[in-house]
Amino acid sequence: MGDDGIGVHVAQELAERINDENIDVMYANTSGLGLLESIAGYDKVIIIDAIDTGSGDIGGIYKLRLEDLVNTVNQTSWPHGMNFATAIEFGRRFAANQMPTEMVIFAIGVGQVTEFAEEMTAKATESVPEVVNLVLEEIGWAHRALLR
Amino acid sequence: MKKITIDPITRLEGHGKIEIFLDAAGDVDRAYLQIPELRGFEKFCEGRPAEEMPRITTMICGVCPTAHHMASTKTLDDLWKVEPTSTAKKIRRLMYNAFLAEDHLLHFFYLGGPDFIVGPTAATAERNILGVIGKVGLEVGGKVIEARKRLRNVLRIIGGKPVMPSCGLPGGVSKAITEEERKTLIEAGEYAVDFCQFALKAFDDVVLKNKDYVDLITGDVYKHRTYYMGLVDENNKVNFYDGMIRVVDPDGKEFAKFRPQEYLDHIREHVEPWSYMKFCYLKNVGWKGFTDGEDSGIYRVAPLARLNASDGMATPLAQEAYERLFETLGGKPVHNTLAFHWARLVEALYASERVLELARDPELTSSDIVNLPSETPKEGVGVVEAPRGTLFHHYQTDETGILTGVNLIVATTNNIAPIVMSVEKAAKSLIHKGEVSDGLLNMIEMAFRAYDPCMACGTHALPGQMPLEIVICDSESNEVKRLSRF
Repeated sequence: MGDDGIGVHVAQELAERINDENIDVMYANTSGLGLLESIAGYDKVIIIDAIDTGSGDIGGIYKLRLEDLVNTVNQTSWPHGMNFATAIEFGRRFAANQMPTEMVIFAIGVGQVTEFAEEMTAKATESVPEVVNLVLEEIGWAHRALLR
Repeated sequence: MKKITIDPITRLEGHGKIEIFLDAAGDVDRAYLQIPELRGFEKFCEGRPAEEMPRITTMICGVCPTAHHMASTKTLDDLWKVEPTSTAKKIRRLMYNAFLAEDHLLHFFYLGGPDFIVGPTAATAERNILGVIGKVGLEVGGKVIEARKRLRNVLRIIGGKPVMPSCGLPGGVSKAITEEERKTLIEAGEYAVDFCQFALKAFDDVVLKNKDYVDLITGDVYKHRTYYMGLVDENNKVNFYDGMIRVVDPDGKEFAKFRPQEYLDHIREHVEPWSYMKFCYLKNVGWKGFTDGEDSGIYRVAPLARLNASDGMATPLAQEAYERLFETLGGKPVHNTLAFHWARLVEALYASERVLELARDPELTSSDIVNLPSETPKEGVGVVEAPRGTLFHHYQTDETGILTGVNLIVATTNNIAPIVMSVEKAAKSLIHKGEVSDGLLNMIEMAFRAYDPCMACGTHALPGQMPLEIVICDSESNEVKRLSRF
């Protein structure tokens, strides 16, 4: 669905560059509680996903931490559509020892997400290398990636 | 006429809207479930190589990708007329049953469970997974996550990815299982069998020992006498992966039993001007409108329908649970929509037992995992039982395998007509003289949540929440009341 695939595009780049048995690159293609089982057991998790901020900032990169999403924690909302922060809060309350201690979210502003398209918009596409570099920096791989 | 709108529905995959029209007396005149869902996936696939379909169709939805992957892979078997190896079939069955179990557990504990375990009229703030945990015990939260994590690890080991598998090939699978991996699969199966038995016990303790809940399940509000459809094996036992499609009538007698390739001889789709969804019905009974009974071609699919359409379960613990369900609810077939929740747990136990049985089979680690296709492709049909019902894939290609025609009947489409009937019946029973409360509206939503409908779509909006809003309008469509819950 066009720009909605930006997380997959970034993950594909990362999967090609990172070769470390302690780091897994995953295509989750799911949300909220569906993610919970995928991230359980890891020390650190980096989420890369599209975000529609409503401001039309296509290609804009937002580095967020869970604290930035604290206002969205909402235990009375519908559980299956449960947002990420609420799912993590649920995980922490009921399976604390399985939850990662550190979580970083790279959210990339997107435009076209409701029509079938294999290509992203130009602005979203241009942001991919920068997001890849930011993630590599985040995991301390920036130097090794450059040497490649 | 007054109009009540519940939009969007909570705890439903994708987006749906219920509109309830009241008459001058404040009673329900008609109720509609509208699905503003994107269609056209079939057209988008034409012109592509058929062998890409098992990976493309997993993208239809993030909830049931394994069902599409498996239906698509089986369609490729049929397209190239190639029989998978014995080991490949076992690997596929194992993965598919692991998926069914994890998906059913997700629905019971996160989606449908809150309605029951916490109670249909409980305060909204308690009617969620945290409320469920409060009722059945704190340690359950961790167990739910652990069970689903282990089952999804099965999907990762076999399918290559935990959510969207990529292992299916015409005639087999792409990767063999190692002995070390087999040990992990056995452990996952053991954990899942234990956990599903626990879940059934919790259902027994919390729901079946509560007379109010049992009255609700067996009452007329949530009851429809319809036909039922499901895949069965050679002994007419429930099978999720393969078999013949069996249909029973509202009295439980076999009405039809046919091969997947014959589906167009039995199923037709009806169109209504107010919905993008098509409404499936049995061609040999006919479309008689949104009504039940043996003269109406409306049929149901998914857990309770599968149990009704079969003669039992092929594993011992699930067979016991199956017998208990029908004994408790007055014999087959059970027409009570809310019993879908119970049937879902019976099926989760069956799927878990299957995972364990297949994981223990030494043949699983054989390297004989694919028969290479040699025929020229033309047309193929593949059917599986998705968690939400019978899923049909049907492809036509040119002689090089490029798709020229695609037809998909997704599980929820089979159930849309009965879902509309259930919502309307619940609304008529529960709204009188314009009196509407949060609890009543939730009970209307319960009617369709029992079916676990999936109308997937994705949203990425800050603050990432989708409120439930109820809008009540007068006869001139003027808003007179608005209720929101977040």
